[in-house]
Amino acid sequence: MSQDFEKLTVYGKSFSGLTADKEALLVEIGPQIKPHLGAVTDEFYQQLLNISEASTFLAGRVESLKKTHGLWMEGLFTGPFDKNFTAQMFKVGDVHVKVKLPVEFMAGAMTLINNRLFSLIVDTFGDDKQRCGQVIAAVNAVTGFSLLVMQQSYQASSLAEELEKFLKISGMSRTLFTNLALAYRDK
Amino acid sequence: MRSDLLVSILTELNGSSADIEASGVISTDGLMMASVLPASMDEDRVGAMSAAMLSLGDRTAQELARGELEQVLIKGASGYVLMTYAGTEGVLTVLTKASAKLGLIFLDVKRAAGRISEML
Repeated sequence: MSQDFEKLTVYGKSFSGLTADKEALLVEIGPQIKPHLGAVTDEFYQQLLNISEASTFLAGRVESLKKTHGLWMEGLFTGPFDKNFTAQMFKVGDVHVKVKLPVEFMAGAMTLINNRLFSLIVDTFGDDKQRCGQVIAAVNAVTGFSLLVMQQSYQASSLAEELEKFLKISGMSRTLFTNLALAYRDK
Repeated sequence: MRSDLLVSILTELNGSSADIEASGVISTDGLMMASVLPASMDEDRVGAMSAAMLSLGDRTAQELARGELEQVLIKGASGYVLMTYAGTEGVLTVLTKASAKLGLIFLDVKRAAGRISEML
């Protein structure tokens, strides 16, 4: 399925409020935040392992998942938040569909991450309330942006999977399905 | 031209019974090859829908152990839609009035499908 990542980037940013100023701020605070991200990742997976519904998806994979997760978190404070970042997040969502991860896990996981990151931000920037607020808003925007893109991917992948199933059951070829859809497109 | 020949078979088929209102030859991918349809009917929709129904009929016959599919018949308050394969790559769809004598229609459609099959 082809996807216009440029368009999705603009769409995602319009919802999440990830502006150029916020992007610059995320990159600026990177050196102060990045040394703590390993601990955030460790704590995140520990929390997931305590949720029985989530832990079944993690068995035997925690260390490799931590590595991927760590790279993503580094990216949140590195940028650029362009169409390549969007494409990468889309791919992450797609992988989640393939392992049949329930859709609510992504929003749940992002909440856990935000909780931990906000706590880290308060510890780091709490002395300057204005800056602390700006950093929280920027982090909330970038994680919200990531979540929105992953959910778009989830939706697209789930539909594609359902369509494959339908074609297999009905015996219809993909070409026939496309022609049927074309015949009934809005004229 | 092959499409002219197909149209002549369809015209002959439509003329064989006053109950036949429309007919068309469609590829199994749902694209119309030739048709004799009233102007009010959308050729693309008739084509794609017919091929889709036949494909589903094929699958149903197979899944429910009814053997090789011969035809799909749909009865509505205003008439019938009859779909049958014309060879392995064509679908012949015929629309009739509700009062149609199906026995004769089946026979004519079978003959027409055979001729179309030879042409495709």
